Amino acid sequence: MSYSTFNRKKFDSLQEPMFFGENVNVARYDQQKHPIFEKLIEKQLSFFWRPEEVDLSNDRKDFLKLEEHEQHIFLSNLKYQTLLDSVQGRSPNVALLPIVSLPELETWIETWSFSETIHSRSYTHIIRNIVNDPTKVFDDIIVNEEIAKRAVSVSKYYDDLIELVNLYNTLGLGTHHVPERGEVVVTMKTLKKALYLTVASVNVLEAIRFYVSFACSFAFAERTLMEGNAKIIKLIARDEALHLNGTQHMMNLMMSGRDDPEMAVIAQECQQDVINIFVEAAQQERDWAQYLFKDGSMIGLNAQILGQYVEYITNVRMQAIGLEPQFPTKNNPIPWINAWLVSDNVQVAPQEAEISSYLVGQIDNDLDGADFDDFDL
Amino acid sequence: MTTLISDTEHQDRTVHRVLLGKKQVLVTEDEPLLPQLERSGILVEYQCREGYCSACTIKLLWGKVDYPIEPLAWVNSGYVLACCAIVKSDIEIALL
Repeated sequence: MSYSTFNRKKFDSLQEPMFFGENVNVARYDQQKHPIFEKLIEKQLSFFWRPEEVDLSNDRKDFLKLEEHEQHIFLSNLKYQTLLDSVQGRSPNVALLPIVSLPELETWIETWSFSETIHSRSYTHIIRNIVNDPTKVFDDIIVNEEIAKRAVSVSKYYDDLIELVNLYNTLGLGTHHVPERGEVVVTMKTLKKALYLTVASVNVLEAIRFYVSFACSFAFAERTLMEGNAKIIKLIARDEALHLNGTQHMMNLMMSGRDDPEMAVIAQECQQDVINIFVEAAQQERDWAQYLFKDGSMIGLNAQILGQYVEYITNVRMQAIGLEPQFPTKNNPIPWINAWLVSDNVQVAPQEAEISSYLVGQIDNDLDGADFDDFDL
Repeated sequence: MTTLISDTEHQDRTVHRVLLGKKQVLVTEDEPLLPQLERSGILVEYQCREGYCSACTIKLLWGKVDYPIEPLAWVNSGYVLACCAIVKSDIEIALL
């Protein structure tokens, strides 16, 4: 079955599963099978922000004053985040759009990916503002071994799914011979399994992988250093929490079987794989913390505390999708981070983009004649 | 036991007990559970405080809560989203 950009069949999209049903035809949002995705789109749109809104001139001065090992921590985190958002800015579109079957979910995927491209643009904004030669920073992302290790883990499930879907769309179900890969079995089950593991791996990316960098950025800001950067990271963290909500809903809907009964069976079979994805990511993030602090710690944060935070947050995220926590850490070792992660606690004018509840173009229709009483012509 | 407290400034306010391990906190229906727990010194994880990040999820062992606005986060049965849940009876909770 090949992909069609406008499916000519007449069908009731409310009866379709989230994925692997009919290709979406009419982009309509008057009716939704899963209204949550429509609500997420609305929320994400209300969060819109631009990196250039945040002034980074003081960050440049701060950065020059940082110790060398602190500059290493700061730049390495930015490089890692750049990698993560490079993947997230394109992969949901490339991997999920050819197989999605609900208009509201299709648009959520596009909205989600778009917001990740804003994050990528904000890293360029930050790097351009604090170093003289951004090329050095960006070029290292490809050659840095510590980052490369993570690049494999964050992209492999996407790549597997994309390969299977490509075969499915050109050759259909069956066993296909692929040059340099040998026999590849494409069944609905292998496709759905690849999809489930991809969503799980994205969930981990957004739920855990970003948070080591977030913690470091906020630890600098606690010392009133790199505050413009922290403001941007706050906006990114707010978006990521929403994206995380999206993948948690996809996983919970799949697990419940409410959307596609076969998916519930696959979720059950893959439970251990998903636990392994979480545990592997937590281990990699702890290793990353070791790499960050290899030449020295920073005030309020070291590799051990950061490692405990990774374990703690992994437990929280696992429980959100009904899995047993895997680590002994029960309490948040850096509770101050929550005050930074709240997006609405900054006192700013409502027309500034940071207030998520502020919607552009709101009109008050509740008027009567008395409202014009003090008008003179 | 849920009780009515007469408040000189406001109307009568319903007060419920929240049990957490050996601690007991009295809460009203005027605001969500999270800020009331925080004021009594109980630290609950939080992030967005408006119902989408699910960081403040805690276990609801028994009792009734209500959401004036349905939160965006997925809430499994037996759990409660502290930032937007209004307590509607005596309840017992457990942190994750």
